[in-house]
Amino acid sequence: MRILVPVKRVIDYAIKIRVDPTKGAQGVQLANVKMSMNPFCEIAVEEAIRLKEAGGKAKMKDTEVVAVSIGPKQCSETIRTALAMGADRGIHIETKGDVRGDYIDMQPWGIANLLKGVVEKEDGVDLVILGKQSIDSDCGQTGPLLAGFLNAPQATFAAKVDRDDDGSFTVERETDAGTETIKLNPTSSPAVITCDLRLNTPRYPTMPNIMKAKKKPVQTISLEDMVKELGLNLDDVLAPKNEVVEVYEPPPRKEGEMVESVEELLGKLKEKRLVA
Amino acid sequence: MPRIHPLVRDLYKRALIVGKDYPHPEGLDYVRRKWKDALRNPQNCQLVEGGTSSPEMEKEYERILRKAVGKGRYVIREMEGTIQLKKYRTMRRHYGEGV
Repeated sequence: MRILVPVKRVIDYAIKIRVDPTKGAQGVQLANVKMSMNPFCEIAVEEAIRLKEAGGKAKMKDTEVVAVSIGPKQCSETIRTALAMGADRGIHIETKGDVRGDYIDMQPWGIANLLKGVVEKEDGVDLVILGKQSIDSDCGQTGPLLAGFLNAPQATFAAKVDRDDDGSFTVERETDAGTETIKLNPTSSPAVITCDLRLNTPRYPTMPNIMKAKKKPVQTISLEDMVKELGLNLDDVLAPKNEVVEVYEPPPRKEGEMVESVEELLGKLKEKRLVA
Repeated sequence: MPRIHPLVRDLYKRALIVGKDYPHPEGLDYVRRKWKDALRNPQNCQLVEGGTSSPEMEKEYERILRKAVGKGRYVIREMEGTIQLKKYRTMRRHYGEGV
């Protein structure tokens, strides 16, 4: 079984985002901030490795987990993290120069086109598992777009994934109305699953695994070469379908008022017409 | 130049790798400071009197040191747990409590 896991390098979840208003749409500060793997992508990598380990030690050699990332050369660190968690090899589609890895330059349409090319290049991909959205752009479009391009069966917001003996996947989806169970039967195309937060807790890469990951192969290919190989148009891939008009910080929270007693609180609530 | 046991050096390196993601306002500096103090503290690795005079004493020293390194690795596993918990809780707060 071959599992493809696209991962994205984003600003670390704990960093407070700063916006430089003079830079307009490019305003989010990227220089010198800590970047790490998108938390939903970590959950996807963890699920891929669990599926690999589920077959037992004997069958582990039959499953290959491939991590894919698109972005500047620092993305190789993100791929190394995926390898340290247990992936077998990596593919890095490298963007050059000023091309940022985030929503300004690379949008889900282009990413999904590139991933479709990777799936077709790698023969025999049974499953593409990815995070439901990235914490920087919050689009949530790459998974469904990819499934559309590949004509693939898909299940989004997965909270539980099981592989059955006949090669199909039983996925429990988390929806607002409750949990929905879907069976995906990948025949001519891989199944596409996007992961929600409650799917699993990603393992932390330990030092021995980080050392082992340094020896695992990562294939680097530049974006231009990849686009030429797939017969796409570079402008089609990079040209944003959506234009970012403005980026600004939310207004700061107003200071609260301290009250001395319940009567005062009631009085203030009545003043603001919040209570009759 | 005081000798440092290879296991202890390995332990400190593991602590720094995990410390990069540790959720504390001071970040890696806090982890480094705490770990250096803990590693230098003789109470964390109580070696018995007698020195490395005989092979039995050396074995005893090695055993005590390995136990202390084991405690250190336990602390590192707890640090990893803290990191995972903080990340999960933050993501849950940002992306909705769900079903």
